Amino acid sequence: MRDVYVVGIGITSFTRLEYPLSEIAAYPAMMALRDAGLAAVDHLYVANMGSGRVNHQTGLASAVADTLSLTPAGAEVIENGPASGASAIKAGFLAVASGAYDTVLVTGAERMREVNNLEATDFVATLTHPIAENIYGVTLPSLAAMFTRLYMERYGVTERHLAMVAVKNQNNALLNEFAHLHQRITVEGILDSPEAMTNNPYVSTPLRFFDCCPVSDGGACLILASREMAEGLGRPLVRIAGVGQATDTHCVHEREEPTDLLAVRRAASQAFEMAGLAPSDVDVAELHDAFTILEIVESEEVGFFPKGEGHLALERGETSLEGRLPINPSGGLKGRGHPVGATGVAQAHEIVLQLRGEAGERQVADARVGFTCNFGGFGNNVVCLAFVREN
Amino acid sequence: MPREIYAYKCRRCGRLHYPYRMVCKNCGENEHNEFDPVPLPKTGTLLTFTELHNPPSDFEVPRLRLGIVELDGGIRITGQLEIGEPRIGMRVEGEVGVVRTEGYDNRYGVVFREA
Repeated sequence: MRDVYVVGIGITSFTRLEYPLSEIAAYPAMMALRDAGLAAVDHLYVANMGSGRVNHQTGLASAVADTLSLTPAGAEVIENGPASGASAIKAGFLAVASGAYDTVLVTGAERMREVNNLEATDFVATLTHPIAENIYGVTLPSLAAMFTRLYMERYGVTERHLAMVAVKNQNNALLNEFAHLHQRITVEGILDSPEAMTNNPYVSTPLRFFDCCPVSDGGACLILASREMAEGLGRPLVRIAGVGQATDTHCVHEREEPTDLLAVRRAASQAFEMAGLAPSDVDVAELHDAFTILEIVESEEVGFFPKGEGHLALERGETSLEGRLPINPSGGLKGRGHPVGATGVAQAHEIVLQLRGEAGERQVADARVGFTCNFGGFGNNVVCLAFVREN
Repeated sequence: MPREIYAYKCRRCGRLHYPYRMVCKNCGENEHNEFDPVPLPKTGTLLTFTELHNPPSDFEVPRLRLGIVELDGGIRITGQLEIGEPRIGMRVEGEVGVVRTEGYDNRYGVVFREA
């Protein structure tokens, strides 16, 4: 396999966007092409989950290739639920690594605010098992809530730990001009004060409003290229060093150990093995905190901390921007926002920015190895990526 | 006739599955794709639960209690709870009932009460 590099990046604001979905996909692509110094690519992968249902538009990849005037380059949509973004990067990686293409544009986009929040939650709930979960009214927040309750019971995670994740990530988002939430919150305001129940009501016990990511619109793009191309372009050399992916049972109740996220563990270990790296080599990580509990548990399952001790590392400040291993410097899904199909690409965008040293006020010092975990379904399809800065 | 929900028992190794799957999770080869439906046990232990404060838009209730139950014999199932104060580890008993109405169609599933 050939080495694969990220040569260009682009992103939109993650908020409510008033322009069409194809433009949400195309705008970051224009930025990324300009960043790379390229006018054309061999192929496009467009990551998206809900265009057909939410935006009444299918065949999004053709629309994106055309509006960017990149025709006749090949293009297709990659749909893998909330892990569509990293899946599309993986497809691009394999296409360049195999020698099939020299340059691939991977853009992820979602426009979820076209519908109201209830409809958006119903749309995401179509990920669940139709007759064994969805029929009962199970939504992603309710699955996360039942998982959180088990984790609290078994490992001593408390609502305070969850609030600490929310505060950390929303504070990081204040330093990210593209983030959805620019709202300073405190543990006191969302947990301890007499107004906490009003500020931060339960969404699905024991999960509260500030434990859940917002519903966002947004797009992000990476341009991938072979070593030969990358060296010619003269951008900082950030290599995709490892790719891992694993699936797990569709129904959450079928997991052998209900507090394990096995697909995260397996995807991460594959990515580290391919990269020839260990979790202790990672300088900065973007984890899939659609719910606050997920950042804590993923930080254990990918190997940063022992099982059941992620919340202790959080307490010690190890995962804060100034800590030993900053997690979600961008604000994560919690602060940056979660346009489902775009999220995996946005995670990689942040890591490339960090490894280039272009992350401004939220720059992690001397970051050379970065890691992302993009989590689909409730953990039934997970894609992890490892990145290394070379020059 | 009372409604039943079935688990699917592999004809080769006897492993129970819920919900239905095409190939046995234990045997793992697609020649082992024959299952006998067996009624799910009625009683079990509550593994975890939640009270959902914003149920899907077609539910005309302000709150929905959901849980995962480990049925006697080990197989697990997700269902609705009609339990005032659910606790992890409590004994529950399931009954098949209407769990959702879509237009004029009733959807059936398991509703658990305290045993």
